[in-house]
Amino acid sequence: MKRLLRQLATASRYRNLRGRNSLIVGILILAFFGSIAVFADLLATYDYRSQSRREPMAPPSSLRLRDDQGNWHPRPFIYARHLVDPLERRYEETPQQRYTLELFARGYSYKLFGLFNTDRHLFGVQLDDSTSSIDAPRLNWLGTDGLGRDRFSRLVLATRFSLIVGPLGTLLASALGILIGLIAGYAGSWLDAVFMRAADVMMALPTLVLILAARAAFPLELPPTRAATLLITIFVVLGWAEMARLTRGLTLELRQREFVQAAVSIGCSPARILFRHILPNAARPLLAQTFLMLPAFLLAETSLSFLGVGLQEPEASWGNLLADAANLTLLERHEAWPILAPAFVITVFVLGVRLIGRGLERFDEAVTTQFSQAAKSA
Amino acid sequence: MLKLIFYRFAQAALILLLISFLVFVLLASAGGDAISDLQTNPQTSEQTLATLRQLYGLDRPLPVRYAMWLGELAGGSLGQSIYFQAPVWSVIQPRFWNTVALAMAAMSIALAFAATLGLAAARQTGSLADRFCDLSILLTSSTPRLVLAILALSLLARTSLVGGTTTDLPTGTWILRLLPPAFILSVPLIALLLAQTRAAVSETLREDYVRVARAKGLSERLILFRHALRPALNPLITTFGASLGGLMSGSVIVEQVLNWPGLGQLSVIAVRSRDVALLMGIVLVTSAAVLFGNLLADVLLHLNDPRLRQENHIA
Repeated sequence: MKRLLRQLATASRYRNLRGRNSLIVGILILAFFGSIAVFADLLATYDYRSQSRREPMAPPSSLRLRDDQGNWHPRPFIYARHLVDPLERRYEETPQQRYTLELFARGYSYKLFGLFNTDRHLFGVQLDDSTSSIDAPRLNWLGTDGLGRDRFSRLVLATRFSLIVGPLGTLLASALGILIGLIAGYAGSWLDAVFMRAADVMMALPTLVLILAARAAFPLELPPTRAATLLITIFVVLGWAEMARLTRGLTLELRQREFVQAAVSIGCSPARILFRHILPNAARPLLAQTFLMLPAFLLAETSLSFLGVGLQEPEASWGNLLADAANLTLLERHEAWPILAPAFVITVFVLGVRLIGRGLERFDEAVTTQFSQAAKSA
Repeated sequence: MLKLIFYRFAQAALILLLISFLVFVLLASAGGDAISDLQTNPQTSEQTLATLRQLYGLDRPLPVRYAMWLGELAGGSLGQSIYFQAPVWSVIQPRFWNTVALAMAAMSIALAFAATLGLAAARQTGSLADRFCDLSILLTSSTPRLVLAILALSLLARTSLVGGTTTDLPTGTWILRLLPPAFILSVPLIALLLAQTRAAVSETLREDYVRVARAKGLSERLILFRHALRPALNPLITTFGASLGGLMSGSVIVEQVLNWPGLGQLSVIAVRSRDVALLMGIVLVTSAAVLFGNLLADVLLHLNDPRLRQENHIA
């Protein structure tokens, strides 16, 4: 791992190295999502579970600097709005009630980084003591859903769940696949045959249908931590095959090389040979493969939650937020873009992962050609 | 060739048996069945539940149930769906053909797109077609089917292409309704096939026999289609076989969102209602279709490439 990081650091010094730009953009996108997950509570304007039954399907709050008399204000504000037609869910703004926005506003209390108790949120409506909390207008960047919950807060909090289940599943599945691949490639004979036949079968099967079948074995309603554990377990059990095949191929190739045979001749244990000699030399393609697998796992989680068998309401994941977007009546009656926001978020994240994968692949190619050229000239 | 087919059939049968056993044990061991949902209704007495379980044979021990299921399978029946109150095969069959049609349409779209663009891109690296190919691979591989399906739905929400009834459609409407899900299903496949075609064709274009063909003064078109394309078909055929599973998985989402009455949509119903027999039938039929597709790919590979026929038949 250390050597890999060093190689990457060296590579970043070469401006013309292929894949450098996609790597950088990809890493930036992932870092952006990572910080959203870490600071989710700070960014959220309201508790993602708190309902406001007076405001179902409200449109996004419109930020203003100029009031209806034509006066400009230094700080952005919103107007209070009221549901005028509960059936059509139509809202009207009342220009008499003007509310200024402020940074680091007070809201629900939470623990920042899981350590510090605070109730500050990045954005919020400035409230004086005269407004009771019931009359206070809510700031909804993306409007509200059918139960009056703030879409933006839900989307931000959903990032946490989606960024834990998919990536953790990928990591564990890769680890299992690498382990199986190393053993199969190094031990050979019947172990190899059994594992690789199993991998063939796994890869040929309709995975999502199997995941659905495996998911069906457990109760539909599960608390979030158990749902996450279950999904990760299913992903690991059904997702190791591709990684195992790649690792096995690399192991077969590397064990023929002189340095491995030298290690064998001085009596290194198989474990030492596998983890100290073979694995570090296979790290680059394995890392690239991990980034290729990640979108599939992330989308599997999203799809399951979307279908209603992953994470359950009122918890939020990118998938179950999208369930609204498949509702024809909602799409016909309301503005589509706030409902479709999760779809956009997912796409950007997957694009980031793909860019990293592509960058790593190109980097791998470049290093391999450099290596072979160096070997020729030596 | 016959030996290969026979060997593969035997292997497939074994795999299917294994899968059916695993799914059955998994579903049964977790507790709860198609009847448990009735428990939420306080008017259902314990006795009714017991009677219903006895009626459907859900009260017997696991090995007995599996043996019964296998016995029915041997007799050519997939059992009875509790949710639909009908034989599983009669529920699955029309939807199975819908899914096959969807998968075939998606595959044809992806192949047509990948073959044309891939060939054009492979002729010269760095050309306009090559760059466009690069971009298409990146874009098609990073837009998830779920996202595309939902976008398509919001665009088509006001048309008759989605929603409404989906059974017994006239052929014209059926084809029109097939197109949006087929296009969406084909998208990630395009990335896969495009990358394969380009890599394979540009590799064969560097072979000696292509240089010989050029030296003989053959036309560029003849070289491309007759000498370069055929060996390049090998990885494409392999990818075709390997991506069938993914296609079946992808169709679950696409069918569910765009309301296409196929197996994917049915599997969601089966999971939600915990209908074991129905789910077993779906898993079995889908897996069988995928394994058959793999076999087909192997046979095609042997037909396409005479070099493989010399080697060991049992691959």
